[in-house]
Amino acid sequence: MNVVQELLHRLPRDQVIVDDEQKAPFECDGLSAYREKPLAVVLPANIEQVKQTLAICRKHSTPIITRGSGTGLSGGSLPLKNGVVLGLSKMSRILEIDPLARTAVVEPGVRNITISQEATPYNLYYAPDPSSQVACSIGGNVAENSGGVHCLKYGLTVHNVLAIKVITIDGEELVLDYRDDGVDLLALLNGSEGLLGVIVEIKVKLLPKPDASQLIMAAFEKVSDCANAVTNILKSGIIPAGLEMMDKFSIEAAEAFAHVGYPLEAAALLLCEVDGNQYQVEADTETVSRVLKENGAYMLKLSRNDEERIALWQGRKNAFPAVGRLSPDYYCMDGTIPRNQLAHVLDEIERMSKYYELKVANVFHAGDGNLHPLILYDAQIPGELKKTELFGAEILKLCIDVGGTITGEHGVGVEKLDSMCQQFSAPEIEIFHKIKRVFDPENLLNPGKAVPTLHRCAELGHMHVHNGQLPFAHLERF
Amino acid sequence: MPLTHFQEQIKQALHEKRRLQIIGNQSKVALNHEHQALDMSGYAGITGYDPAELVVTVKAGTKISDLKQELSEHNQMLAFDTPDYGDSTIGGNYACGLSGPSQPFFGALRDFVLGIKMIDGQGQQLTFGGQMIKNVAGYDVARLLVGSKGLFGLVTEISLKVLPLMEEKTYSIEMGQADAIIKMNEMAGTALPISGCAYYQGKLYYRLIGVHPPQSAMPEDNYIWHKMNPFRPEISGKQKLWRVSVDSMHPPIHNTLLIDQVGARRWVVSENKPDVSHVDLWNLHEKTRRPSFDSHTKITDIKRGLKSVFDPYEIFY
Ligand SMILES: Cc1cc2nc3c(=O)[nH]c(=O)nc-3n(C[C@H](O)[C@H](O)[C@H](O)COP(=O)(O)OP(=O)(O)OC[C@H]3O[C@@H](n4cnc5c(N)ncnc54)[C@H](O)[C@@H]3O)c2cc1C
Ligand SMILES: Cc1cc2nc3c(=O)[nH]c(=O)nc-3n(C[C@H](O)[C@H](O)[C@H](O)COP(=O)(O)OP(=O)(O)OC[C@H]3O[C@@H](n4cnc5c(N)ncnc54)[C@H](O)[C@@H]3O)c2cc1C
Repeated sequence: MNVVQELLHRLPRDQVIVDDEQKAPFECDGLSAYREKPLAVVLPANIEQVKQTLAICRKHSTPIITRGSGTGLSGGSLPLKNGVVLGLSKMSRILEIDPLARTAVVEPGVRNITISQEATPYNLYYAPDPSSQVACSIGGNVAENSGGVHCLKYGLTVHNVLAIKVITIDGEELVLDYRDDGVDLLALLNGSEGLLGVIVEIKVKLLPKPDASQLIMAAFEKVSDCANAVTNILKSGIIPAGLEMMDKFSIEAAEAFAHVGYPLEAAALLLCEVDGNQYQVEADTETVSRVLKENGAYMLKLSRNDEERIALWQGRKNAFPAVGRLSPDYYCMDGTIPRNQLAHVLDEIERMSKYYELKVANVFHAGDGNLHPLILYDAQIPGELKKTELFGAEILKLCIDVGGTITGEHGVGVEKLDSMCQQFSAPEIEIFHKIKRVFDPENLLNPGKAVPTLHRCAELGHMHVHNGQLPFAHLERF
Repeated sequence: MPLTHFQEQIKQALHEKRRLQIIGNQSKVALNHEHQALDMSGYAGITGYDPAELVVTVKAGTKISDLKQELSEHNQMLAFDTPDYGDSTIGGNYACGLSGPSQPFFGALRDFVLGIKMIDGQGQQLTFGGQMIKNVAGYDVARLLVGSKGLFGLVTEISLKVLPLMEEKTYSIEMGQADAIIKMNEMAGTALPISGCAYYQGKLYYRLIGVHPPQSAMPEDNYIWHKMNPFRPEISGKQKLWRVSVDSMHPPIHNTLLIDQVGARRWVVSENKPDVSHVDLWNLHEKTRRPSFDSHTKITDIKRGLKSVFDPYEIFY
């Protein structure tokens, strides 16, 4: 029996997809420029079936690509032609909510937003809120260490996960808990992009809903004023729950999409949310408003109630699809930069945009320095995707040069393998490969993703050179 | 002291097949005289700090007290309340993963780690993470090594997220232990801006930050958080001090000296190890205690494997 036959034989028939047409939805994730049909898609309903699938694949040396909801933006769950996709969407039960201890235990296929919905009766919620939260799975969130607009104050996924259950490639069940002594394996698994194990259960922290939330929207004539306002809000001693910035093009796109009353003439728009108890929120709103005015905001708008607050967020949260409407395709970048470099980086992106003759919309998690330039292109035009990718890579290079990083929250996947060569030295990349080998010596879990081979880096000539020493000088160069 | 000094020391040890023992301020490790010390206490100082970026980068031998002092001059703080047992170093606290009362509210030490520079067991300088609040490029080695107790590599520099210094007020309520555990958890589920919640000598203590509603509980001096010290000279003979981590709602454990972190941390004095899953012996007298990789569970296999990734020749003891 080959691997597919054995899967069909051992697992319930309706949980193994081999038919081409039915496999189609699994061909790609949110980075749809890359597509591949896997040998089969398995949709396990429980841990036992995950273990069975792993055992069968391992026996046949078949790669396994774990998949949550497939909303990833870096090709993390892109199938391999000779691989099996392990889709966890059927494992979507909330196993327990403990309102007094403020925790929830859930299966990996549970959608992010479902956790908060289920916790609402207890006045609790799960804080990390990626814009894709209605669709993305909590397992995918852990595997990517995803962020959201409220992460500046409430942390990323890694800060809100208390324990996980992982199945290793050899079928062992590990429980990794934040209280474990010694090295922090729980932190290691966060953001490990499906390369180290299959996450099958997650215990998350739930937070009490704030008594009050106030959104302050400010419009600026100059991008640099807006950037300064961000810096000065943080200097004033306030950590807003959210602090998001959009450039002119994003404002226009979001407004055309959501009709929420964003000022179309502004060069930059800042959305600042403060939350907590009523007393604190009043005090913070006053401080933030003052700082905004001092930094040249020409228009301020305070949300008058929760409905209006949520409506104003809708524009920002839908910025990607909004920009998507203006162009056949768009390519979303995810670099991070020190905030004090923002004005410089935006100028440079503008310059590159002219050079490549491709439009860019910028949305920015301003509080934590995470920039999402969205490059607009048309994949039907020959060569345009390639040009877009070059543009993207140049933006990431710029992020590294100003002291930032190539990915703040979307992960490396297949997309940023080349840029990894620029951010890390050969010995560092070698360490990553060795870590992988500790968990997965046969390289079956999502092989080829997240960490480039040294060979690839050498070929690109992108190898980051330390102290003028060329790493792996014995390797042939091209 | 240049970093090459440490690299040389490591390479020398490799060459001579000797082991090195990394020490910060030696508040925990008693020097084992068979091994050479790799002393980090002189490698101190802040190498990068821009308050508006909310990030500080420090050399590993920097004293916690010096770091806190510098931050407070800019109205900022380390939000994980890391304990200072007398000139503790940031590298030592990183290697032990030590966080205090604010952990359930702001996060643990590892939550604030953004990046490290280190030297591995082959003398290679490596950098993981950076100065960015968000960064998911490569495995999160900077957080992985929190708690590594000097066994995986020499951490030379650490970048940490910092937060604005907040005004704090402490209050207390007299009550029994079992009631206090429930009360703490209930309070933590409200919108009160709490930054610490403990039970000590018959009183529930809680600390609020910033502007908050008036409280009917008894106001206390903030200094009480430093006095809640489980180290007591009278603990002696067969009695041992245990640091116990449990679910926050875990019922009272016999002989508890202090409950911290909304019930999730208990300091217990007893002859025998308390019967729960996460217990560490805090050795008051003989200071040495090292994690061992002897057992053969999958987790220990993985830890042993990771040790050999960073320190293949077992230089670090
Ligand atoms: C419109 C839009 C907006 C977005 N906004 C944000 C945002 O604000 N912030 C943000 O961080 N991201 C955002 N994303 C990206 C994406 O939603 C996140 O990365 C999300 O966490 C992916 O979850 P998923 O369930 O779709 O995972 P998938 O895409 O299916 O998988 C992602 C990676 O995780 C691995 N994986 C998935 N589940 C598991 C598991 N159980 N065990 C082990 N490995 C697993 C996969 O192998 C893959 O490498 C956005 C995406 C879109 C399309
Ligand atoms: C009485 C007492 C008992 C204690 N018991 C424990 C305990 O059981 N468990 C616990 O976790 N903490 C314990 N601590 C706390 C802890 O040992 C130290 O106080 C704290 O780590 C900081 O100390 P230090 O700078 O003096 O580091 P040291 O005591 O010198 O070193 C602490 C550990 O960190 C490692 N280390 C130090 N610097 C570096 C570096 N730059 N890179 C890599 N590794 C480094 C050392 O190898 C050692 O394993 C105890 C403290 C006291 C006072």
